[in-house]
Amino acid sequence: MPAAAAPDPGEVPDIDLVKRAQTGDTRAFDTLVTRYRGRIYAMTYHLIQNDTEAWDLAQEAFIKAWRALPNFKHDAGFYTWLYRIAHNVSYDWLRKKKTQGDGEFDDERTEHRIAVGAEATPKGDPAPDTAMRNAELGQRIQTAIANLSTDHRQVIILREVEGLAYEEIAALVPCSLGTVMSRLFYARKKLQEQLKDVYETTL
Amino acid sequence: MKPPSEDHDLIRWLDGEMNATEHAAFETRLKTDPALANEAQVLRALSVGIRSHLPADMTVPHADFFNSQIQVRIGQLEIDNERAQATAAPGDLLRWLRQPWLTAAGAVALAVLGLVLLRPIAETSANSFILSSYTPKIGVQAHAFHDEAADATVLMLDGLDAIPADRKVSGIHVKHSETEPQLAATTLYDVAGGRLLMISRDATGLPLIWSNSPRG
Repeated sequence: MPAAAAPDPGEVPDIDLVKRAQTGDTRAFDTLVTRYRGRIYAMTYHLIQNDTEAWDLAQEAFIKAWRALPNFKHDAGFYTWLYRIAHNVSYDWLRKKKTQGDGEFDDERTEHRIAVGAEATPKGDPAPDTAMRNAELGQRIQTAIANLSTDHRQVIILREVEGLAYEEIAALVPCSLGTVMSRLFYARKKLQEQLKDVYETTL
Repeated sequence: MKPPSEDHDLIRWLDGEMNATEHAAFETRLKTDPALANEAQVLRALSVGIRSHLPADMTVPHADFFNSQIQVRIGQLEIDNERAQATAAPGDLLRWLRQPWLTAAGAVALAVLGLVLLRPIAETSANSFILSSYTPKIGVQAHAFHDEAADATVLMLDGLDAIPADRKVSGIHVKHSETEPQLAATTLYDVAGGRLLMISRDATGLPLIWSNSPRG
């Protein structure tokens, strides 16, 4: 499961904040929100492909976490536990959206820009034309992922963005290992097809 | 058409999910199968592209507002919890609703409580109106109307199991109500101006009921 990044020296450990939050300390919980909101928002955004909905769902995940805090047993990391809640909130939303027949791709959804300073932002100052090509490629990838089915998008995000192992994905979704592999394979083939001009001409 | 196992081998190699033996065998295949090697190279480049353009951490728009809204909602949850505890207090008007026969009559009880029935309102043909209704039992539908001849509000509960004939279900005479928009709560008063019930909703939309009226 995704783990929290190593805390900075002097930073209050998650476990201490969680224990305080479990006694009703909302300021301690607020610190946890600040610490993980970026990662939770990124996950919901990549799954939902809509910044407003992702913002709401990330909030919902933290609210659910607060309500469930009394049941948190400390046998898993707080972020892992929070991540699972956020994933379930997002996936429930996607399923509901799908049931309502409102899941058609809307290319306005992909207008969100990647945050400056985000982990994957290329370092250095590339030449303007390189930066533009890079931005265009990013847009193409975002669009291609948004075009995937919910199930395929889910496994791609969990694997490529969150770096989860197959067993972790299978436990989270939940589904069999074979299903994880099949979905990953077909998701990648669909992305490859959409981005054929990018990846098959540059190799 | 390749068998699925070959497709799985490719992505397991790509994702580092092979053990050392499997990995070595697959690397050998890549050297002898140019088509497979090309496909592997394309998928690897795609994987790198995705990781480069989909960050695992993003700046939350209006981050301070994001946090403050969570604090507001947590505060509301605490209020809801306090109300729920008040509702569950011993001797509460609703205690009778938790008797064993509640299974059959639960829908009646909460539907009655979910119906905010007001006394006559001028200029309306019906002398009552429904602000909201809630039946916890799936399949039970609540409807109400005012019977002028009987000067009574009739509550219809379609789909409810039979209630034992010796059970009494009594209503509450409500003189008037007051709504507090900020709390999203409605308080019902009797003829003497005493508070009968306060009805609100919790964060999930379920009814919350508080009472300090006659003991059950």
